[in-house]
Amino acid sequence: MHPTDAAIHAYVDETDETIGALDRAEVDRHLAGCAECRALVDDLREIRRATKSLELREPPVRAWTRIERAIQLDAQHSTERAQSAREESPLRLPRVLRSTSRWTWLAAAAVLVLATAVGLRFLSPASQSESTTSQTAAAVSAANAQSIAAELRQAEVHYENAIKGLEQIANAEQGALDPQTAATLRKNLSVVDQAIGESRAALRVEPASEPAQQSLIDGFKTKMGLLQDTVALINEMRKGNEAGAARIVSGLKPKG
Amino acid sequence: MTAPKQRPVVPFPSKDATVRAATEGAAESMEALNVARSQAGDVQAFESIYRQHAARIYTLACRMAGSPEDGEDLLQEIFLQAYRKLGSFKGDAALGTWLYRLALNHCLDYVRSRQAKMSKLTETLDAETSYQPVARRETPIARLDLERALERLPDGCREAFVLHDIEGFGHKEVGDLLGIAEGTSKSQVFKARAKLRALLR
Repeated sequence: MHPTDAAIHAYVDETDETIGALDRAEVDRHLAGCAECRALVDDLREIRRATKSLELREPPVRAWTRIERAIQLDAQHSTERAQSAREESPLRLPRVLRSTSRWTWLAAAAVLVLATAVGLRFLSPASQSESTTSQTAAAVSAANAQSIAAELRQAEVHYENAIKGLEQIANAEQGALDPQTAATLRKNLSVVDQAIGESRAALRVEPASEPAQQSLIDGFKTKMGLLQDTVALINEMRKGNEAGAARIVSGLKPKG
Repeated sequence: MTAPKQRPVVPFPSKDATVRAATEGAAESMEALNVARSQAGDVQAFESIYRQHAARIYTLACRMAGSPEDGEDLLQEIFLQAYRKLGSFKGDAALGTWLYRLALNHCLDYVRSRQAKMSKLTETLDAETSYQPVARRETPIARLDLERALERLPDGCREAFVLHDIEGFGHKEVGDLLGIAEGTSKSQVFKARAKLRALLR
């Protein structure tokens, strides 16, 4: 009879004290005559070894720019709230209309990015699968499929709006980029657009296809990331932060 | 003329230990300075803190969430929260420990809210993770393959595996963190390993 799962795993975990010397000897005896359990123990040990050799992962270059923008936006909101509280005071003059500067566009991009990040949490594929899997497989009905399709459409509209806004900013400010970087960005965007087009075509043929739905969402996410990088890069160039710009450019490798 | 004061005799540390202590001391002072400047609203100082700790937090977030995209969102939320809460950091623990705790709590909140909705999926997938005879591996597991396989683990057993086998928590602590019994933590880790074994064939 094979040892229990608990005994095998405790045997593999050398630090696990729930397996005593006697049980360990018993597993040893069993392993000597059971190739199947030997293979299992060897594989589990190999997984343990590989797990211990895992390294840290570096976040994408755009991550700090996103955080920095969110922090600035936070500060900006606090200032605006304080200012509007002062302006609403009956002793002060009415608000003076301000002209729209390019910085307002960049601030708008930050709002867009944040709003999208929040939206993604609700509309990510994970939440689609959450809603699907909250029911038993037998109960997955046509109504549920319709609801997924509706969520996907909602996600599509959401992404398209966010992408449109980012595209406007990126196009309007693209003069800030050197021609080679701008060309790389355009090339990357065209590759992603092609992938989005292919996913849409696949969904037209098979609307319930999960891989196609996933692929479409992935395409949107990639495009969002690229556009966010573009806006971040423009921002760094405007600030004259060469190191920040170089960090972002190093992440913009040509695709396809 | 007065004689110079006799200094107490202390064992002289080795050159390596002196250099190490000086380096660690300098790093700690620099970190304390960055914390103080960040608390005063200096975003550049906060960037230095981010650069020092981001990889550790991002790695945890990716593995707990099961995807780099969600990991990046979590990273952003964690560092925003850290910036807002930095005023409450009193230096009782190392900054890295404080940040790790903040990140872990944030990841656990995310996982809990997702798990509540996903419990039935885990039940369905649990059936697939029973031991099946698999061909024996002939080559060592590559890190990248393992990272990818981790992303494919079902919610529930992935978090228990990450906390126990990677982050080094005991089953009792994993149970407390995930709000499950110690025995459930063990069985989730066993399932994760079995699933990994099948995925890494």
